[in-house]
Amino acid sequence: MTIKKGSFVIEGLENVQINIGKVVGQGQEIEGPTPRPEIISLRNWDYRILDRYNPVYTPTGDTCDYCTYGKCDLTGNKEGACGIDLEGQSAREALRISIMGAACHSAHGRHLLNYLIRKYGEDYPIDVGPSNLKAPLTETIMGVTPKTIGDFLPVLEYVEEQLTQLTAAINTGQEGAAIDFESKALHAGMLDLLGMEVADIIQISCLNLPKAEENTPLAEIGMGILDPKKPVVICVGHNIAAPAYILDHMDRNGLFDKIEIAGLCCTAHDMTRYKKTAKIIGSMSKELKYIRSGIPDVLVTDEQCVRADILREAKKLQIPVIATNEKITYGLPDRSNDPVDAIVEDLASGKNEGALILDLEKVGEVVPKLAMKIGPIRKAKGITALPDDEEFKKLVSKCTKCLQCTRDCPQSLPISDAMAAAVGGDLSKFEELHDRCVGCGRCDYSCPADIPVLNVIEKASQRVIREEKGKVRIGRGQIGDPEIREEGRNLVLGTTPGVLAFVGCGNYPDGTKDVYDVVEEMLRRSYIIISSGCSAMDIGMYKDTEGKTLYERYPGRFIKGNLLNTGSCVSNAHIAATTIKVASIFAGRKTKGNWEEIADYVLNRVGAVGIAWGAYSQKAFAIGTGCNRLGIPVVVGPHGTKYRRAFIGKPYRKDKWNVLDARDGSVINVEPAPEHLMITAETKNELMPLLAKLCFRPSDNSLGRAIKLTHYIELSEKYMKKMPDDWHIYVRNEADLPLAKKEQLMKLLEEKGWKIDWDKKKIMEGPLRKVDVSFQPTNVPRLCKEVKK
Amino acid sequence: MANEFPFEISPMFEGERVRKDDMFVELAGPKSRGFELVRAASVDEIEDGKFTLIGPDISEMQEGSRHPYAMIYRIAGKLVEPDLEAIVERRNHDFQNYIQGYMHLNQRYDVWVRINKDAIKKGLKSFEQIAKATMMLFKNELPFIEKIEATYVTNPEEVEKQRAEAIKIYEARDARTRGLHDEDVDVFYGCTLCQSFAPTNVCVVTPDRISLCGAINWFDGRAAAKVDPEGPQFAIPKGEVIDKISGEYSGVNEKAVALSGGEYSRIRIHSFFEYPHTSCGCFEVVGFYIPEVDGIGWVDRDFTGTAPNGLAFSTMAGQTGGGKQIIGFLGVGVNYFRSPKFIQADGGWNRVIWMPKNLKEKIKADIPPELVDKLPTEEDVTDLKTLRDYLEKKQHPITQRWTKEEAAAETVAEAPAGAAPEWSMPAPAMGMPVGMPMVPMQFGGGEGMKLTFKNAKITIDRVVLRSKEK
Ligand code: SF4
Ligand code: SF4
Ligand code: SF4
Repeated sequence: MTIKKGSFVIEGLENVQINIGKVVGQGQEIEGPTPRPEIISLRNWDYRILDRYNPVYTPTGDTCDYCTYGKCDLTGNKEGACGIDLEGQSAREALRISIMGAACHSAHGRHLLNYLIRKYGEDYPIDVGPSNLKAPLTETIMGVTPKTIGDFLPVLEYVEEQLTQLTAAINTGQEGAAIDFESKALHAGMLDLLGMEVADIIQISCLNLPKAEENTPLAEIGMGILDPKKPVVICVGHNIAAPAYILDHMDRNGLFDKIEIAGLCCTAHDMTRYKKTAKIIGSMSKELKYIRSGIPDVLVTDEQCVRADILREAKKLQIPVIATNEKITYGLPDRSNDPVDAIVEDLASGKNEGALILDLEKVGEVVPKLAMKIGPIRKAKGITALPDDEEFKKLVSKCTKCLQCTRDCPQSLPISDAMAAAVGGDLSKFEELHDRCVGCGRCDYSCPADIPVLNVIEKASQRVIREEKGKVRIGRGQIGDPEIREEGRNLVLGTTPGVLAFVGCGNYPDGTKDVYDVVEEMLRRSYIIISSGCSAMDIGMYKDTEGKTLYERYPGRFIKGNLLNTGSCVSNAHIAATTIKVASIFAGRKTKGNWEEIADYVLNRVGAVGIAWGAYSQKAFAIGTGCNRLGIPVVVGPHGTKYRRAFIGKPYRKDKWNVLDARDGSVINVEPAPEHLMITAETKNELMPLLAKLCFRPSDNSLGRAIKLTHYIELSEKYMKKMPDDWHIYVRNEADLPLAKKEQLMKLLEEKGWKIDWDKKKIMEGPLRKVDVSFQPTNVPRLCKEVKK
Repeated sequence: MANEFPFEISPMFEGERVRKDDMFVELAGPKSRGFELVRAASVDEIEDGKFTLIGPDISEMQEGSRHPYAMIYRIAGKLVEPDLEAIVERRNHDFQNYIQGYMHLNQRYDVWVRINKDAIKKGLKSFEQIAKATMMLFKNELPFIEKIEATYVTNPEEVEKQRAEAIKIYEARDARTRGLHDEDVDVFYGCTLCQSFAPTNVCVVTPDRISLCGAINWFDGRAAAKVDPEGPQFAIPKGEVIDKISGEYSGVNEKAVALSGGEYSRIRIHSFFEYPHTSCGCFEVVGFYIPEVDGIGWVDRDFTGTAPNGLAFSTMAGQTGGGKQIIGFLGVGVNYFRSPKFIQADGGWNRVIWMPKNLKEKIKADIPPELVDKLPTEEDVTDLKTLRDYLEKKQHPITQRWTKEEAAAETVAEAPAGAAPEWSMPAPAMGMPVGMPMVPMQFGGGEGMKLTFKNAKITIDRVVLRSKEK
C-alpha cells in the first residue's frame, strides 16, 4: 500500500485504526553531495568560476559609511576602520544587492504559499504540465522531489534560513574577503532562483495557470488598449493573489463588459495567465505615465516594482489606491475587517485616499464595486494630469533650454529640443522621446521653470499612445520535457545556435524598440528566444509592415526560431531550470543535491545566455547572479554598470582556460567559451555579436561550432562593420568554418600564419586544440574517471 | 568580407519564405513541374564548375511568371559512389535555402522554388549564379566531391523528358534502400554527435536501424564517414555475428566499449530487453514494458495523455535517456517501426500491445496487417484492465504468451481481490525478464513479518522513509 497521511481502517483487523500525521522523505534518494547546501557548501565551485571569471568592480564611490566608524576613505590601498578594503566593500555590496533580490522573490513565494495552503491545503498536488522533473531547481538544490504544495514549506524555510545567514555576513566585523562575499552573493543568487521556482510552481498548480503550453492565446498590451469610457481598474505589481479575487468576482457577476481591468508590470502577466481575457498595460516604465493620464479609476497594488509615490500621484487625480500586501502599506488605514460598503463609500466620497485590505476576498468585492461607483464620477470630472492643448502650448514655450532636465534624466534625453520643436507645432521629437523615456519623473523635479516635463511628453505623444496596441503570448510556465527532447536533435546537431533568454525590466538605454530589433534578428537566425517579465511585454509592442507582432509571427514552442514567454518575473526560474532538464534528459545527470555537477555541465555544454537589457532592480541582479552560479552567462544593458560588478573572463590568460577531460582527467586548454559570466554591452550593435559569441561552449561539435561561428561573424560584420578580432580562436579544424565562406576564411587563417593544405582543404597547423566529439569537458576534478598523476 | 555573389549566403536565410507578392518568379512547385537529381560520374567525365542551362534564364523571365525547373548535378571523386547520390541530393535543399531571396521547398520531384524581387534588384540575373553558389557549398561541405557540374533546365519539354528518367532513378534507389539489410553490408556506422550532450551514448546505425533521433540512416553515415573518417560519423566493421536475431556483432561490441568510456560492452541492435541500444534524449518514441500483459507499449512525444500503465510520455522518457542502456525502456526513431527487424529479439510486432492513435495512424502501413485491428490505442483502452480485456477479446498474439506462462505459474497464489491500489500488480503470475525494474515502485510491501492487531488505535505522528544505505 501507499503510505500517506490520514486515518486508516484496515479490513480484517477489528477496531484497528491507524492515524498517520506526516510522511517525510518518501523514499527519496539523494543523488549528489550537496543537498540543502549551506552558505559554504558550494564554495569550491564558486572559487572555480571566480578564478576564471574575475569580479570587476566599478564602485560609484570610494568611501564606506556602513557603520558609525565611517565614513571611511577606501581610496588607494586604504582600509576602513574595520579593516575592509575597497574590493571587499564592493563585493559586500554585490552580496547585499543579491540578498535583497532573493528576499524579494522568496517573500513573494512565502506570501503565495501561506495563502494557497490556507485555501487549498498542504496536500494540494503539484501540476506543472508534461514533465518528469517537475521542480528542477528544488531537486537540484534541496535534493528532494516535491509532490504537494506543502512540500515547499521546508524549501522556503531553507531559503529564509540561508538568507538570514547571508545577511549576517554583511554586518561590519563579519566576512572580509571579496572572494567570499562573491561566493555568498552567488549563493544568494541561487536561493533567488529557488524562491522564484516555488512561487511560480505553486501558483501554476493551484490557480491553474498554463502548464507548459506552447500555444497559449495572445493577450492585448499597450497604453491604448482600454476603453477609457468604462470604469478602469489597474493592478500594479507582481503578486496574483489579490487580482485573482477581483477577476473571479467580476467573472461571477458578469462584469467584464462593464469594467476594464488590466495590469501593470508582472501582475499583468499572471492576470492573463489566470484569466485569458485580462489585459496588459505594460512594464513599470508605463506606471507613472498611465496614472498621470488619469484613465485608471482604481489602483490596486500588491508588491514589487510599485512606485513609492503611487499614493501621492493617485491622490492628485482622485484615484483611490487599494493596497493588498503587507510589504507595501503606504501609511494607509487597515480596513481588512470593515464592511465592504463602508470601505467603498469612504473611498468613493474621497474621505480616504486609499485603504489597506489584507482580506483578499474582500478586495475582490471592494474593487469592482468601487470602480463602478467612482468611475462615472471621475469621468464626469474629466480628471487628468495632462495639460490641455492651450496649456500645453504655454508650457512648452516656458522652456529656457537650461538643460537641467537632461542632466538629471537617467536617459539624458534631449527634452529642450523637443520643447522647441513643439513650440513650432512639431510633436515628432516628443513622440520619439516617449519611447526612450522610462517614466521616472525626475525631470519634473529638475525644471526651474516648473514645467511638469513628463506630463508634457505624454500629452505630446497622445497620438502614438493611442496606437500603442500590441500582442503578447500569455505566459506558458515551464518548458515541458517532450519539447526539450524534440529540440534535442537541433541542439545536438547544432542547427539551433543557442538559447537566448530576454528577461527583466524596462530600463533600456535607448527605448523598447531595441529589444524588439535584437529579438527579431536572433529569431531569424534560429536562436530560441525565451522571454519573461517586462521584456516579454516590450517584445510584443511592435509590429511589422503587415501589422503583426513577433508573437504572431513566431510560434511559442521550445524549438529553434521560436519565441516563448514563460510569464512573470518568478517564471524566470523555469528558464534557468531548462538547462537542468537538458542535463538530466540528455546526459542522465543525477539532479538531486547535485548542483555542482549540473552547473558544470551547463557551463561546458549548454549554449544558453541571459540578457537583462533593461535590468533595474536588485531582483534582476540576483537572478543574473543565480544564473551565473548555474553556469549561464548574463549580459546586461549599459545601465547594468550601475550594479557595479561584472564577472569578466580574460581570454589572454591561457592558464584560466584549462578544463579536464572527464574520460581520463587530462588537462585540455580550450578556447574561451563562454568568455564572460556577467558583462555589460553598451549598444544593441555590440550586444548581438556578443550574444552569438557567448553561445560557444567547449563541447560544441563541428556542425554546431560552424553555425555559431557563422552568426558571430555575420552579426559582427553587419552591426560592428568588421570581422571580430577573435573569430579564429574558435576554429579547431576546417569543419568548424562557416560553410559559405570556407575558402575566404582559410585564406585569412593562412595570413595569420596557420598552415593550410589547399589540396585537401585541411587546416594542418594553427588551432589551439583538435575537435574530439567524445571530449567531456569538466571543471570539477572529482567528475573525472581517473585523475592522471 | 568580399562576396563574389550578388546575394548573401547564410543559414540565417533558411527559414525565409517568399510570399506571392514579393515573388519575382516561381519555379516548379505544385502548379508546375520540376525535380532535382544528383548523379555520380567518373572523374574524367566531368568538367569542374561547368554550368549548362537549357531553356530561358532568369533575365528572360517575366515578373510574376511560373516555369518548370530541373536541377541536375553530376559529381565525381575517388570516393564518390552511386550510394551517396541521395544524400548529396538532399543537401541541395539546405544549401539553396542559404541563398538570400531564394526559397527551396520539398525534394526530388516535389521541389518548389521561388525567387524574390529583392534578389533581382540586388543583381541576380542568371541561374548560373545560383548553380555556382550551390556547387561551391557542395564542395565546401562534402570534400569527397572533387568535381561537380550542373545542368539546370527550364525548357518545358526537356523538363518533362528528363523528369520521367529521374523518377525511374528514384524508384531504383528506393528499391535498393528497402532491399538493403544488416546482413548485406560489412560495415555499420556509429554516430557520436549526441556525445556533446550525452557522453555515453553510442548510436549504431545499420540498414535496418535508423538513428534514434531519426536524422541519420545508414547512407547518411556512409556519406559522412567519407567526408571525414575521424568525424562524428564513422564506420564500424561488423566483425563476427554473435547473435543474428537480436543483432549482436563483435565489431559493435568493441566499439561500444570504446565509445561509452567502458560503460557498456554489449549492444544488441534489435533487442528490447537484453543489452538494448542506448537511448540519448531526443528519441521520438519510447517503448515501455508492461509486465501485467507481458507486452510492450509505445508512446510518442506528441501524445499528451497517459498510457494504460497510468504514465505519461514525459515520465517514461524520464526513465530512459541519458545515453544509457535501460532495461524495460527503449527510445527509437519513428522510422524504426518500418524496419523488418523491429525488436525481433523480443517477438517483434507480436509483442506490441499499445500505442497512441496518432502514432498508429502514422505507421499503419508498416504494421503487419493481421495486427492492425488487434492493437489498441487510447480510444480503446484506458487502463491495464481494459487493455488486458481488449487483447484477450481480439486474440492479440500476446495472449498466447500468457497461456504458456500462466500454466507454468499455476502454483503461484492469486493476489487478494479488491482494494488493489492503482499500480499494484493484479496478477503477479506473469513472468518478467530478469533485471526488470519496476519503475513506479510502491514502497512498503511484505517483508515476511506478521503482525496481529485487535481493538487497537495506532497514531503515528510522522513517518520518515529512508532509502537503504548502499
Ligand atoms: S563598515 Fe568599515 S569601512 Fe564601512 S564605515 Fe564602517 S568601518 Fe568604515
Ligand atoms: S521621466 Fe523620462 S524624460 Fe523625465 S527624467 Fe525620467 S526618463 Fe528622463
Ligand atoms: S529643465 Fe525645464 S527649462 Fe530647463 S531645459 Fe528642461 S524643460 Fe527646459
